[in-house]
Amino acid sequence: MDTPDPREIDLDARFEELKRRRQLAARLGGDDAVARHHEYGRLTIRERIGELTDSGSFQEIGSLTGSGSYDDDGHLVDVTPAPYVMGLAAIDDRPVAIGGEDFTIRGGTSWGARRRKGGQGGFVEDLAHEFRIPLVNLIDGAGGSVTSVSSRGHSVFPGIFGFERSVQLLGEVPVVAAVMGTAAGGPAGRAILSHFSVMISRTSQVFAAGPPIVKRSLGQDIDKEALGGTSVAVDTSGTIHNAAADERDCFDQIRRFLTYLPSNVWELAPRTPTKDPAERRDPGLHTIIPQRRTRAYDMRQLLRMVIDRDSDFEIQPTFGRAVITTLARIDGYPVGIIANDPTIQGGAMDAASARKQVHFMELCDTFHLPVVFLVDVPGFMVGLTAEQEGALREGMRAVYTAGTMTVPTFTVVVRKCYGMAGMATCNKNGLDMKVAWPTAEWGSLPVEGGVAAAFRREIAAADDPGAREREIEAELRRYTSPFRTAEAFEVEEIIDPTETRPFLARFVALAYRRMAGTLGPRSIAGVQP
Amino acid sequence: MARHEILSEVTGTVWQIEVAVGDSVSSGDDVLILESMKMEIPALAPCDGIIVEVTVAPDQAVEEGELLAVIED
Repeated sequence: MDTPDPREIDLDARFEELKRRRQLAARLGGDDAVARHHEYGRLTIRERIGELTDSGSFQEIGSLTGSGSYDDDGHLVDVTPAPYVMGLAAIDDRPVAIGGEDFTIRGGTSWGARRRKGGQGGFVEDLAHEFRIPLVNLIDGAGGSVTSVSSRGHSVFPGIFGFERSVQLLGEVPVVAAVMGTAAGGPAGRAILSHFSVMISRTSQVFAAGPPIVKRSLGQDIDKEALGGTSVAVDTSGTIHNAAADERDCFDQIRRFLTYLPSNVWELAPRTPTKDPAERRDPGLHTIIPQRRTRAYDMRQLLRMVIDRDSDFEIQPTFGRAVITTLARIDGYPVGIIANDPTIQGGAMDAASARKQVHFMELCDTFHLPVVFLVDVPGFMVGLTAEQEGALREGMRAVYTAGTMTVPTFTVVVRKCYGMAGMATCNKNGLDMKVAWPTAEWGSLPVEGGVAAAFRREIAAADDPGAREREIEAELRRYTSPFRTAEAFEVEEIIDPTETRPFLARFVALAYRRMAGTLGPRSIAGVQP
Repeated sequence: MARHEILSEVTGTVWQIEVAVGDSVSSGDDVLILESMKMEIPALAPCDGIIVEVTVAPDQAVEEGELLAVIED
């Protein structure tokens, strides 16, 4: 038998081996596992990356990683790929770091090595960090597996493959997480450590622990959809921001979200050319506010008359519905819109809507998106349920966060602006620009109700207490005209509703011009309430 | 003939009742108007039909999800 010359390599064999190893990796968990995955209406991780990113843009990193088996002569027999696929891709011609669990291999359980090939604390996070590009996590795994205890010979200390990088990224680059299957443990946690998270109705669930552990711990019988489907995780708890109808909708939402954001906090968000003139004055804005102060109207319809046509992308539409948080564009510039919804408890801020608003303000402040408040808020939500949920504390957290923002904000009061919830709709740092429509009204608290409390004795002593209360209310209401406040320059301007778009367009453009000089990470200091 | 229950979407008080038992209503009509957080919140007929029951009275406090009226179509 010939002994190979140690000075030579077999070039053909090397190239052939690379090709073969790539073929082995492309099989993922094998034909049967892939077929089963497809039967559940799910795409494989490579199909997902292909659908989401620009055609042909995916450069996989770590495609050969896995567990190889060899015959007695040291020749490769097979490789079980690591259950995580990742690399560099592009979305709308902008680079992104992307990765996701391969559910067809060991259910996408974590895969450890000296250099992590996986989501949390892994190479893909370093890729996003080092090159300051957005990170997209396509999550489809249950995290650690107890089976690894025997192979390692020791149990893993929580966080040894840590969340440090995941946390750091939240201040540096956009992080998007999609829950594309059943996520528990570490991958579920990683979904939360994102700027925008989305999950798929019916085929995705997310929880700290799944039904078997719930059964063992609490004796409760509950299936995974009831425990962590969208009705719990999106609509009720706000654990995940948005629900998607299917995987395609999920990818559409991810692409759409990223169009509003810069690649990192050191850059400005990209301006998108629009055919919608900045000077457009929608006459519908004159009639949207009802004559009856006590009647609701469609705030989404209102905001769409102001922003660039079809430019809104709502974050958390089904959670904390008293406030609407939506990304949008004005004259092509991305902005964050925070608007109260008078159809939901009159627009009063409760714990859920406050939490949603806080997240959205931090998102906008971090990525230098100017914030536009469209205000119609009667105050914090009142009553036992609201107090039990901590509406006051969560609401003050919104006030606190508004006070920490450095991004320019523009407040447009379209109707009510009352009390502390009203304070959460403007930022007193910097210019503190507040304008109002002629339909606006404001105060520490509304005249109605306030009178009953402040003039209790006088009202009680009157011959007709009801009539006296109405009398005092009428007296005080004379002073509530917004024009009197404008005389005192406590709002900077009263504008005709149709002037809202041209007004905002000028100031948003000015904000972008100003911010170009002071980009970078958001400073966080102090203790939030 | 199917019964359709109209439930309160909010916690608040009943402000005005716009119908009487036996009235015929069209889908989307105001059946009664609730007041919550100083806002008038109409409770709408979910379908065309006849009001067969109104289970609340003006000024009565109602909880979210509480039965307000019943329509048969």
